[in-house]
Amino acid sequence: MKMFEIEYGDDGEVLCRGRLDAAQCEKAQGFMDGLEGANTLDFADLEYISSAGLGILLKTQKRLVGSSSGLKIINVNNHIRDVFRYSGFHTIFDIEAKE
Amino acid sequence: MRRDFPRNLDSLSPLYEFAEKLFETNDISPGVRFPVHLAMEELFVNMVKYNPNVTTDITVEVTVTFLGEATNDATSSKEVTVTLVDDGGVEFDVTAKRQVNIDAPLEERTPGGLGIHLIQNLADRLEYTYKDGRGEVIFTKGSGNEDV
Repeated sequence: MKMFEIEYGDDGEVLCRGRLDAAQCEKAQGFMDGLEGANTLDFADLEYISSAGLGILLKTQKRLVGSSSGLKIINVNNHIRDVFRYSGFHTIFDIEAKE
Repeated sequence: MRRDFPRNLDSLSPLYEFAEKLFETNDISPGVRFPVHLAMEELFVNMVKYNPNVTTDITVEVTVTFLGEATNDATSSKEVTVTLVDDGGVEFDVTAKRQVNIDAPLEERTPGGLGIHLIQNLADRLEYTYKDGRGEVIFTKGSGNEDV
């Protein structure tokens, strides 16, 4: 199983990898709390997200939109994309599917 | 396949590995694996979260049923059933409809409440029973009904 990892990429995007489950939320939230301004989350290597991870994305988006910026999420796999759709996240995030 | 898991979030990784081993053996498609893993986590975490004073393990059973000829490859139709048994926890009917407005604008959204909503949407069948302090949830997902 791929452990969850989150770090900045070479171009300043935020790379998320592995499985973001409820046990990894503290790690994810700690990183997200440090984000300021507009940010791109690259989910190319993120395999899985549960509602706990959705909560972190929502909390971060609310904070950033409050300061007139926000999150863009790119390279979303079809499983996570459908979780976003069932959650209505496609209406509150700028989301690009994986090619 | 059945196993007892300690009632804490450190069990999520072993829980994933436990089910994944069975899925590998039976060549379960990603479109079934993803919602089953999601349901297992959401249901397990709920049992942990809503019963902070309960110390008993949570029993998880995962089974694969062949719906047609049991060829044990990717082409045969299969159904995965996950049963979680929470002995000593409070009653929490996961089949009850909840008010989740997925069309609400960002400013009206609050974290939480999506887990059960997702499970209800992803399940082919979702059953719940509670008797004498023992809650049992059965989540079923079959190939051919993959929507994630």
